[in-house]
Amino acid sequence: MHMNKAAYSLVAGLVFLFIQLLSVSETGHPSDASLFFGRFHPLLVHLPIGILLIAALLELVTRLQWWGTFNKAVTALLFVGAWSAILAAIAGLYLAQGGGYDPPTLLWHKRLGVVIAILASATYPLKVWTNSTVRPPTKALKRGYAGSVAALVFGIALAGHFGGELTHGDGYLTRYMPDGIRNLVGLPDKEDIGRLQLDDPSEATTYAALIQPILDSRCIACHRADLAKGGLMLDTPEGLIEGGDDGPVIIAGRAEESELIHRIWLPLTSGDHMPPADRPQVTVAEAEMLRWWINQGASLEETLAEAEMTDIIQTILDEIGLDEIRTGIFALDISPPDSQDVAALASLGVVVTPLAEEEPFLQVRCTDPEACGNDEELAPALRALSANIAWLDLGRTEANDALLATIADLPHLTRLHLEKTAVTDAGLPHLGQLEYLEYLNLYGTAVGDDGLQHLSSLPALRALYLWQTNVTEAGVENLKQALPKVDVNLGLTLTPTLSEDAEEENAE
Amino acid sequence: MKLLEEARHAHLCGVTRRHFLKTCGTGLGAIAFASLGGCTPGLAPSASKMGAMDPLAQRSPHFTPTAKRVIFLHMAGGPSPLELFDYKPTLARLDGEQCPDSLLEGKRFAFIRGVPKMLGPQASFQQYGESGAWISHHLPHFSQVVDHVAFLKAMHTDEFNHAPAQLLVQTGSPRLGRPSMGAWVTYGLGTENENLPAFVVLLSGGVAPDAGASVYGSGFLPTVYQGVQCRSKGDPVLFLSNPDGLPSDLRRQSIDAITQINRQQYEAAGDPEILTRIAQYEMAFRMQTSVPEAMDIHKEPPYIHDMYGTEPGVTSFANNCLLARRLVERGVRFVQLFHWGWDSHGAGASEALNVGFVDRCRETDQPVTALLRDLHQRGLLDETLVIWGGEFGRTPMLENRSGLDNPFVGRDHHSDAFTMWLAGGGVKGGITHGETDEIGYAGIRGRVHVHDLQATILHLLGFDHERLTYPFQGRDFRLTDVHGAVVRNVIA
Repeated sequence: MHMNKAAYSLVAGLVFLFIQLLSVSETGHPSDASLFFGRFHPLLVHLPIGILLIAALLELVTRLQWWGTFNKAVTALLFVGAWSAILAAIAGLYLAQGGGYDPPTLLWHKRLGVVIAILASATYPLKVWTNSTVRPPTKALKRGYAGSVAALVFGIALAGHFGGELTHGDGYLTRYMPDGIRNLVGLPDKEDIGRLQLDDPSEATTYAALIQPILDSRCIACHRADLAKGGLMLDTPEGLIEGGDDGPVIIAGRAEESELIHRIWLPLTSGDHMPPADRPQVTVAEAEMLRWWINQGASLEETLAEAEMTDIIQTILDEIGLDEIRTGIFALDISPPDSQDVAALASLGVVVTPLAEEEPFLQVRCTDPEACGNDEELAPALRALSANIAWLDLGRTEANDALLATIADLPHLTRLHLEKTAVTDAGLPHLGQLEYLEYLNLYGTAVGDDGLQHLSSLPALRALYLWQTNVTEAGVENLKQALPKVDVNLGLTLTPTLSEDAEEENAE
Repeated sequence: MKLLEEARHAHLCGVTRRHFLKTCGTGLGAIAFASLGGCTPGLAPSASKMGAMDPLAQRSPHFTPTAKRVIFLHMAGGPSPLELFDYKPTLARLDGEQCPDSLLEGKRFAFIRGVPKMLGPQASFQQYGESGAWISHHLPHFSQVVDHVAFLKAMHTDEFNHAPAQLLVQTGSPRLGRPSMGAWVTYGLGTENENLPAFVVLLSGGVAPDAGASVYGSGFLPTVYQGVQCRSKGDPVLFLSNPDGLPSDLRRQSIDAITQINRQQYEAAGDPEILTRIAQYEMAFRMQTSVPEAMDIHKEPPYIHDMYGTEPGVTSFANNCLLARRLVERGVRFVQLFHWGWDSHGAGASEALNVGFVDRCRETDQPVTALLRDLHQRGLLDETLVIWGGEFGRTPMLENRSGLDNPFVGRDHHSDAFTMWLAGGGVKGGITHGETDEIGYAGIRGRVHVHDLQATILHLLGFDHERLTYPFQGRDFRLTDVHGAVVRNVIA
């Protein structure tokens, strides 16, 4: 073909592409005709990829003189490739009108597509000039041509990658990449894919951890502040609550009446089904989480720890890595106990066991009253494991107020048994700083209302046992004012007379 | 083939150790001991007097538990939920009507033949507590503690005869040979008190469980984990006292000598049953003093006896409830009560809904209530799981034994719907999980199979029921076998 005519046709094609670039808008409703043409993009787009890459390959073969010279073939391929790139880019613009693509990825894909069309159109005349027998090509021209071919190959690879992400979703390529390579390129291990990564699981709200991510991945390509199809913006909680042009999309507590849920469950053939049938769909697990969250009251503040789980939601959460939300001492980073310290404590006649496998915390129980009433030996042994002791059972031993001074140095205690011991009001101030203490058993001790006051500074306390003590109803009322949630047990109304109590003690 | 492999593995465990000890001398015996873990499956034990060899040393579960101990009140015979907890006014309206065919098609019953009549509730119901739980007039005491309790109203089982159904509840299988729940728990957690059995069984009601001692046996687990039956009358444990004329110190010396020989035998053969034997001798000696102390309720103050309705020196469910509290207080891991007499067919007065059943309610209502309250005031309910229930429920139809009228009012065995309840040990109080249809014939919501209950009990004790396993005959067995889902709704 005559060089000038061919080159001019490419210029005309590029001009048409630019007109489309400026006129085709992604907002508003595209016509059926433009969408029909747009859907040829996935078909057309493989032409420039194949043709231009073959051109580059033949160029290489020619230069290395492997099988001969293919200059004419390269010239022809570059021309056809350039035209197919222009057509693919135009079709792509129409396809993008349909909406629903991840905006930043789409922007880069679009830019690269246009750049490739321009580059291919420029490479064709460069190739013609370097082959010219009339005017021998300059070195600069040869270099320029080689550079533009290399840039084409690079651009096609990159644009193709973004195109793949738009169609198949983020991470399609790396989904089955071996962990070794994944780590090299800075990706997490495969088993962590799809699992929640929360900075502070105990503080995370259900909305931020579970709900907004669903909207982000399924809805906001169209329903975001700068596009707002149907007047609906789901990129912020405010937009979700506010709803769209036709009214609210969620009704707190009534998922079955909420438009958001209706649209998800409509058949794919329905024009009202959301997301549109050709877009990535809400999964069943995601739909169930949305339904559950709306039925729970659609709260923006409720944390995962507070949320009332259902069996099916718990099953889903187990799978995505929220099987346990660690709170209290379990949210702390504590090193495992030293085995020698554990052995030293165990040698004093107490049973020392980890709370659970792979848990740094210990439960310590004295089963032999004579063995572990001895403060002089017990105190240093307990102190050596101060960070690890979570449950301490010294019930029915000779533990006394002096030992409570040691217990004050066990900051992670959650359960403390001191029933039927020699502790008195004088020892209770020592317990006032145990910020994680949930359970305190003081039944059958000499404590009274005065000592009880010191317990009002225990923020985590929820169960307090005071049967057969000197504590009165009034004392309990006082404590309840500071700690309204604590369950205080004074025993049955059949409070025994002291003589009966003493009788039992003597008998035992 | 699997059996052969297992036998070969057991043999190799023994041979290797013997060979090792012979060649390397006794100095390396300790290292050989450290390899025991490979041949005696189990979890890592804590430090205890017997060291790593103690099969009852306290162990850690898979995750932090909410319950440390269990009291299982097994109401043997299958108490009728329709006269206790499952209030069905519709059934009262249908009283005396012919049972429609649709309810009978494809069903098998133990005794009902032909077309029976419907039987309305033989009790009046009222709501109690903040939770508004429906409780019948047969349980006036229990109605005061309903806010501690989580009801499972739509339990179901696979069996409609006592022995297999009891085995299913207690061992996870309707056939003989599996370890009981108490044995599994003891195997998983060890004991908190070395001086008492970890798993104690208390029987009342005059009849032993239909399935015999297998409902508290150890199956294929080492026998050290089986339930020890204690009696509330006479010697608490049979054959425990020294024979006349044998002083305690001589008994001690003979046990020491036997233990020494047994240890040598274990080093040679590596059979875990030898460890069981050593532990049993030691425990029996310690139990000679500790068990009579724990089992003696004479020393309880009068107000406690008033509360439970106990009478020292007799065999009664009330005494067993008080004993259960004394045992968990002393660190016994699993206390299993069986109370026979809930098999209310109506074929005789003792098993009539309006006679024997009422007696059973009267015998159990006050002690069960006292047990919950007493555990609570001692701070024990918080860490002790209490389970109440039978092996199945009863039909909403009047039983017509083999097609004939019974002399008294009663109901037949029914596996599709029954009520159990849980309390304490990390269970949410004051809730009802599950619901039956308007005549209490089948669960329509929140159905819980016996295996689901077992999974839930193990979960509260800190176990993943799928990971608490024991290899036997070539595969890993577990309490729930291949079934079971944790009922998360009842967990606080």
